[in-house]
Amino acid sequence: MKYRQVRRTGSAAGFEEIRMKKYLFIIKTQIIKSLTYEFNVYGNILMQTIIMITSAYFWRALYKGQGSVNGVDTDSMLIYVIISSALSVLLITNVERRIGGSVEKGTVATDMIKPISLFGMFFAEDIGSITALIFQNMLPIIIIGSLMIKVPVMADIRDLPLFVISVIESFLINWLIAALFGMTAFTAVNINALIQVKKHLIRLLSGSIIPIWFFPESVANVLYALPFVYIYQLPLSIYIGRGTRAEYLAQMRIQFLWLVILSALFFVVHDRVTRKVMVQGG
Amino acid sequence: MERSLDTLRHYLDVTAQNIKMAFMTIVEYPSNIAGWLISNPLQFIMGFAIIKFVVESFGEINGWNYGQLAFLYGLSVISHALSMIFFVQGWFMGWYVIEGDFDRYLTRPLGVLYQFFFTNINIFGITDLIPGIIVFIYGCITSGVQISFMFVIRVLIMLIGATLIRGGIYILIGSTSFHTRSAVDFGQYTQEIMDKTTMYPISMYPESMQFVLTYLIPIGWVSFYPVSSLLGIDNGISGGTATALITLAVGLLMMWLAGAYFNSGLKKYESAGN
Repeated sequence: MKYRQVRRTGSAAGFEEIRMKKYLFIIKTQIIKSLTYEFNVYGNILMQTIIMITSAYFWRALYKGQGSVNGVDTDSMLIYVIISSALSVLLITNVERRIGGSVEKGTVATDMIKPISLFGMFFAEDIGSITALIFQNMLPIIIIGSLMIKVPVMADIRDLPLFVISVIESFLINWLIAALFGMTAFTAVNINALIQVKKHLIRLLSGSIIPIWFFPESVANVLYALPFVYIYQLPLSIYIGRGTRAEYLAQMRIQFLWLVILSALFFVVHDRVTRKVMVQGG
Repeated sequence: MERSLDTLRHYLDVTAQNIKMAFMTIVEYPSNIAGWLISNPLQFIMGFAIIKFVVESFGEINGWNYGQLAFLYGLSVISHALSMIFFVQGWFMGWYVIEGDFDRYLTRPLGVLYQFFFTNINIFGITDLIPGIIVFIYGCITSGVQISFMFVIRVLIMLIGATLIRGGIYILIGSTSFHTRSAVDFGQYTQEIMDKTTMYPISMYPESMQFVLTYLIPIGWVSFYPVSSLLGIDNGISGGTATALITLAVGLLMMWLAGAYFNSGLKKYESAGN
C-alpha cells in the first residue's frame, strides 16, 4: 500500500523510507529470534551473575585493608564491576561469526545477491539481538548487582550525557573492530583463531576485567594510544568518576578519532574484499 | 581378560588414527595455525603480566607472593591446556545436539563419548601448553621449591586429576543441552570463572564461596589445594602427598558423574529430523 504511494510520488524521501524499513524488519526478526531460546536467557544471566559476584569478591579481597589504590576505592571498584558486566551485554557482536560462517559455507554469494547491503544486514542483526539483550540480560544483571553487591550509583550525574555518548561510540568502535576482523575471512577463509585473538585483545587490554590504571605507566601509555581502552574503560571511568571532566573530554576526542579511523578503514577494506569473493564449492 | 585387552588395543589404534587425522586437518587452513599460535600464548602472557601488575599495585595476595602465584598460574594453565586438547568439544556439545551430529557417533561400534572427544581431538591445545610450561618453570625458580622425584610424581598425578575435573565440568555443562535442546556458548563463561578461581588462591574468597568451590563444584581441587600442598602452604583442608591423590580421586569421580549424566542425556537425544 505504502509502497505504491511511494512509487507514484517517487520522492527520494520515500525510497529512503523503504530502505530503512528493510533494516527495521531485520531488527524485528532478530529480536523475535532472541526471544525464542528461553533457556539461553536464564543460562546467560546465571553465568554472568556468577562472574560478576566472583569479580566483586576478587576486588574486595584485594582491597582488604587498603583504602584507595591508584585513586580508586573499593566502592567505586565494585560499581566498576557491575557496570562492566552490564556494558559487556551491549558489546556482544555476531558480525565476525556471520561473515566467517557465510564465507566458509559459501552462502556469502546468496547473501550478497540480496537487495540489501551485506554489512548493513549484519549491523541490523546485531542491533536487533542487543535490543533484546538489554531487557533479557542487562537489566537483570544491574538489578542482581544492586541487590547482591551494591547499588551502582553514578559518581556525578551531570556527566551522564558524556557517559551515554561514550557508550554509543564504544559500541560502534567495538562493532567496527569485529567487522574488520570478520572481513579477513574473505581472504583467510577460516577465522576462528583470529576471532579468538580479537576476543583476548579486547578482554585484556580494554580494562573490562582489570582497569588499565593498575598497569605500569609505560604499558598504560601505549594502551591509551590503542582503541581498546576506549571500548570499556573510558565510559566506566566516567561512570565511577575517576578523573576530571577535562580529562574525559580529552579522552573522548581520542575515542572519536579512533571511531573516524576505524570507519574509514572499514569502508576501504569493505570495497576491496567484496570485489573478490571466493566461494567454496560454489 | 583377553577380550577387554583386545578392546583396549582397538581403542588405542583408533586414537592413533584420530590424532593423525587431526594433524592433517589443522594444516588445511594455514592462516588458522598462525592465528592459534598468536592467540593462545598471547592470552596467557597477558594474563600472567596482569597478575604481576596486580601484585605490584596491591602487594601479596592473601599471603601468596609473586613467585608462588606464578607457580599456581603455570600449573593452572597446564591443566587448562590439557583439558583443551582432550575435552574442549564439551563446550560445543549444544550445537551437536541441536544439529543432530550425534547420529554419526551412535551408528558406530565405539563409545559415543569416546568418539565425541577423540574424533575431534584438539591438537592446537599445545599452543596453550607451551606458555603454561614456561610460566610453571619460572614459578618453580622464583618460588624456590625443592624439586625431587616425588615432587615430579605429585605434579603429574595432580595434573591428571585437574584435567579430569575440568573435563568433567565441561561435559556436565554441555550435557544440559540434551534436556534444554539449546546451545549456549558457555565456554567463554566457564573460562572466565575458572580464570578467577584457579589462577588466584581461593582462600582470598569468603568462606561460603570456598565451601562451594571445595565440595559442590570442586574447582578448588583443580589448582588451589594441590598447589598449596606442593608449596607447603597451609590451606586448612589437606596437605602433603595425599592431596595429589585426592585431586586424582576427585577428578575420577567428576568424570564418572559426567559420563553418567551424559549417558542419561543421550537417551533423550532424538536427532534433528528433516
